[in-house]
Amino acid sequence: MGKVFIIDQARCNGCHGCQIACKDEHVGNEWLPYQLPQPDTGHFWMKVEQTTHGQVPKVNVEYKPIMCQQCDACPLVEAYPEVVAKRDDGLVCIDPVKAKGLKDLVDLCPFGTVYWNAELEVPQKCDGCAHLVDGGEIPHCVDMCVTEALKFGEEEEFTDLIAQATQLDGAAETGARVFYLNAPGLFIGGEIWDEEADEVLEGVKVTLAGDDGKQVETATNDWGDFWFRKLSPGRYTVTIDAPGYAATAPISVELDKSLNLGDFPLRKA
Amino acid sequence: MPKLGFGADKTTYDNIDWDGFGVGSNVATVDVKDGKILRVRRFDYGETYDLEKDLNRYRLEKDGHVFVEPAKSPIPPFSFAYKRHAFSKNRIPYPLIRENFDPKGERHPELRGKDKYRRISWDKAAQIIAEEIHRQFEVYGPGSVLVQQDGHGETKIVHPCHGCMTGLMDELGGLVMQARQPDSWEGWYWGAKHVWGQEPLGQGRTQNLFYDLTMNCKMMLYWGCDNETTTWGWVGQIPSLLSYWFTDIGIESIAIAPDLNYSAAVHADKWIPVFPNTDLALQMAIAYVWITEDLYDKEYVESHVEGFDWLVYEVMGGDDGIPKTPKWAEERCGVPARQIKALARKWAKVPTSTGHCNGGSYIRSAYSHEPGRMEVCLLGMQGLGKPGRNYMKFIEWNIYECPDFNPMPRDKEWISGFAGYNASMLDSQKARFIPKTLIPEGILATVDDPVKWYGHVVCMEPADDQVLPFQFPYPGDPTLHMIWSDTPCWSTCWNCGNEYLKALTSPNLEFVLVQHPWFENDCKFADIVLPVSTRFEVEDIGYDSSSGMWNTMVHAEQCVEPFGESKSDWFCVQEVAKRLEELYGSEERYANIFERYTRGRDVAKSIEITYKGSKAEQFRSWEEFMEKGYISVPHAEDWQEDHAGLYDFYIDPEGHPLETPTGKLEFYSTRLGEHFPDDMERRPYPHYIADTERFHEYRESEKAKEFPFLLVSNHPRFRVHANFDDNDWFREIEPCKVKGPDGYAYETVWVNPKDAERLGLANGDVVRIYNDRGWVLGGVWVTERIMPEVISQDHGARIDTIVPGESDRAGANNLIAPKETTSANCAGEVTSGYLVNIEKVDVFELAKQYPEAFGRTFDPTQGPDITNWIIEE
Repeated sequence: MGKVFIIDQARCNGCHGCQIACKDEHVGNEWLPYQLPQPDTGHFWMKVEQTTHGQVPKVNVEYKPIMCQQCDACPLVEAYPEVVAKRDDGLVCIDPVKAKGLKDLVDLCPFGTVYWNAELEVPQKCDGCAHLVDGGEIPHCVDMCVTEALKFGEEEEFTDLIAQATQLDGAAETGARVFYLNAPGLFIGGEIWDEEADEVLEGVKVTLAGDDGKQVETATNDWGDFWFRKLSPGRYTVTIDAPGYAATAPISVELDKSLNLGDFPLRKA
Repeated sequence: MPKLGFGADKTTYDNIDWDGFGVGSNVATVDVKDGKILRVRRFDYGETYDLEKDLNRYRLEKDGHVFVEPAKSPIPPFSFAYKRHAFSKNRIPYPLIRENFDPKGERHPELRGKDKYRRISWDKAAQIIAEEIHRQFEVYGPGSVLVQQDGHGETKIVHPCHGCMTGLMDELGGLVMQARQPDSWEGWYWGAKHVWGQEPLGQGRTQNLFYDLTMNCKMMLYWGCDNETTTWGWVGQIPSLLSYWFTDIGIESIAIAPDLNYSAAVHADKWIPVFPNTDLALQMAIAYVWITEDLYDKEYVESHVEGFDWLVYEVMGGDDGIPKTPKWAEERCGVPARQIKALARKWAKVPTSTGHCNGGSYIRSAYSHEPGRMEVCLLGMQGLGKPGRNYMKFIEWNIYECPDFNPMPRDKEWISGFAGYNASMLDSQKARFIPKTLIPEGILATVDDPVKWYGHVVCMEPADDQVLPFQFPYPGDPTLHMIWSDTPCWSTCWNCGNEYLKALTSPNLEFVLVQHPWFENDCKFADIVLPVSTRFEVEDIGYDSSSGMWNTMVHAEQCVEPFGESKSDWFCVQEVAKRLEELYGSEERYANIFERYTRGRDVAKSIEITYKGSKAEQFRSWEEFMEKGYISVPHAEDWQEDHAGLYDFYIDPEGHPLETPTGKLEFYSTRLGEHFPDDMERRPYPHYIADTERFHEYRESEKAKEFPFLLVSNHPRFRVHANFDDNDWFREIEPCKVKGPDGYAYETVWVNPKDAERLGLANGDVVRIYNDRGWVLGGVWVTERIMPEVISQDHGARIDTIVPGESDRAGANNLIAPKETTSANCAGEVTSGYLVNIEKVDVFELAKQYPEAFGRTFDPTQGPDITNWIIEE
């Protein structure tokens, strides 16, 4: 047991408030023995990554806050047990005095969340605002998250959420204590319409088949749109079944990013 | 006293927002240590209250979902990043004088924008200013001094950042006021107001709409609306929570805009890209579908609408005989006809409201009154005011202290901060004024060639005011000879800043005085610049009545010492008043002027007057307020009973008439028909208009062959207008700025991949954005978030002129916005949705061509650098 972060991507509006809050708490502020000041710019102990999915007009943006994963099997701790501590509450802290000059700590993190402070010659990263936690507070980024996309607390408080969560690639192996909810994955979308009538077609059956043999079926909505969401990368075949209309050849795609297949003008058979 | 924050040696409250006119929001808690701002936190309403028992915290339930009012203030990142801006490298440390400005000799107005600055003492600055004011009155009499006193600076009460000098100049006998038009909602003010009144804004009343929409709405049209951006300055992030909530309870979110803005990016179920300033065509086609398919509320139209036949006439053919069919619209607005029909039918079928957040090409482009009024006509055709069928606005929830524009649960009382407000609130009906859109013309106007317009233009005026004729100079008055500004951002915020910069070098202007915290924008054209303190450096009283949370008033203690020799705006003006009295106190105009100006108030007195005049004392005594540092007003017990939006008009149009001449929705405006019968641009009824003598800014214009892109210039995501452009914590967030090959951070321009491929553009390229009014640079960001043939670059970058009046490095695109106002008889601004072209440039070649401009040092993280402009001695 110990502390965990829960990040709900479905509630992350991309305000970057967590990223800014981290700087507000750490830039120019010294929290010894926990942290030396963060440089004015260039460090992202909390970093909001963004991915634009799709093509006009089927587009949305995914925001994903990334920070130290507070791994139970942290490679930094393993390499420098006297310098990097795995606390009883699960947080991973670099001793800012003992770490002076140890630039190789930056490369030890598999998630790229450790930054080199060239001026102070120390590696730095998110420690869950351990100074605040020890003072009975919560990390500043969590406190400032208006949509409550960020949560922080004892692992047992979030058992149900953790059961639904995903983690960064490779994070399960390192025992990461950061969990993501509602990761959007990739999508395939398109629009179907009657070319002669110049009308969208509602209720057209569209099937998505993966290379693994699994099939998903949907129907166009009242905009003529169809969507397949939360997809993983891979090869898929999309089939349109519009009775009364000339057949459309199945569309085969190698999906590595979200894809708007465009619009499909159908003609009566 | 506020509970001390972790690690702090002092903690206080403040409202960190940029309404700028006294009505605050974004109430926050500020921790201080060793005379520095340690951190900013969300304000905890429950620090001295039980939220449920004392403040009647609300909790809404719908279909198994629950919305509970947040316990802490929903402040935006602007508020907790503000210390970076407040203490940026661009702060003005001491009074400055332009190097070739000699008040006793040659003044060299032609060198404004080119000259550097020298340090002078406060004593010397006050002397020059006092002597010049005296000279202006002696030589010209009242009416030669233009006061620019409005904008979105910090919202403060004791030390307001806008309008302190207005009171002094008024007390001295006269000034010319820069009258700010409803710059962010032009179309509704100039157009919609004539359909539905809704005084004074022209935007719909939104009272209790949060509740109504929750219970009844099924589709929300976020039309040109970005409630993840425009709200940050003066509301906070409650609108974001509302949008999530609406999605949770099954309200379909449709975004209609040329760009996938920051709201659409996370909230939209569907994005309908529309070419900038072609929404009118889309609207006309929707009406066509409803009329031809019998999908509108005939009974409602019969009882609630005047002049419906005129709309039918226009939609079905009008003067040109061309029916406004979906196919016709598709060619103009870019939305496929089939999608227009789908939208129209769904709108007719399910309770639908429109959602707005001001700004953008929809409502601040050429002839914006047409989409503004046509929207109301569409709402009217579907029974405006019926449950779930309303006009929702996501910001300015206490604008002008009008409670019926607040969609959130009503409080027991609306507290006000104006009792002790130290800026002047001039009676716009009495003051001399020039519309802000016409300032360049006003500077150059002569007695024989005055500039003319209609209406007082300020947004508190009723629709009847829009028919009153004015001119400047007023008959018998002098022309302009001096400017005093606490709002030095005209160039990067208004219409055709290049014309403004040229006007500032006019010999007509003998003196230009600016007071401001940062050396930026119009400061570079001033003769004297006074250094102003930020909110963290003064003691004040603040309040939040705009965020949708509990009305709250706070005692904002001084956090840190003033930067350098800076003084608050109020204190700056006091320095001038003192010197005027010392020099000229024997003259009646200046006798006892310090006392007359301050009305005997100091900071402590101003705070007390504010609180005791705020109506807050009934909930917390003055003594307890000062002890606890804040007061929050509970929600009314019966807030759910308030009739939402235009419900009363819907139920009983005779008993609850609108503020139109007939009391009904005037699809044909009797007022416009009476006063402007020959106005072919703003006719009495909605009329499709594009490509005119006034505006060749359309895709169908001949000019589009040379300038084929329409520019979207939104309210910025990473700034509040011109505020924060030097905030490095935002500048390092993609896509705020694009680092060019020369290391300069260029203002990002969004380019669709199809256009980028065609033009050979890639991320990181620098482009020239140009038209017949000049050019600015931009850094390319290739993205699917903008539709093809359109580019987007936010407004408000700090100007970094290459050739003043012609070109700019920083991407301050308002410099090349149209100079012409909204239409012939509407003095609104046109600052988005106009034609430009882009081309890739080699910045190193430009550096050779313009060595002085490109030779200025810049901070790679904060941008243009004050040190270029100060002569170190």
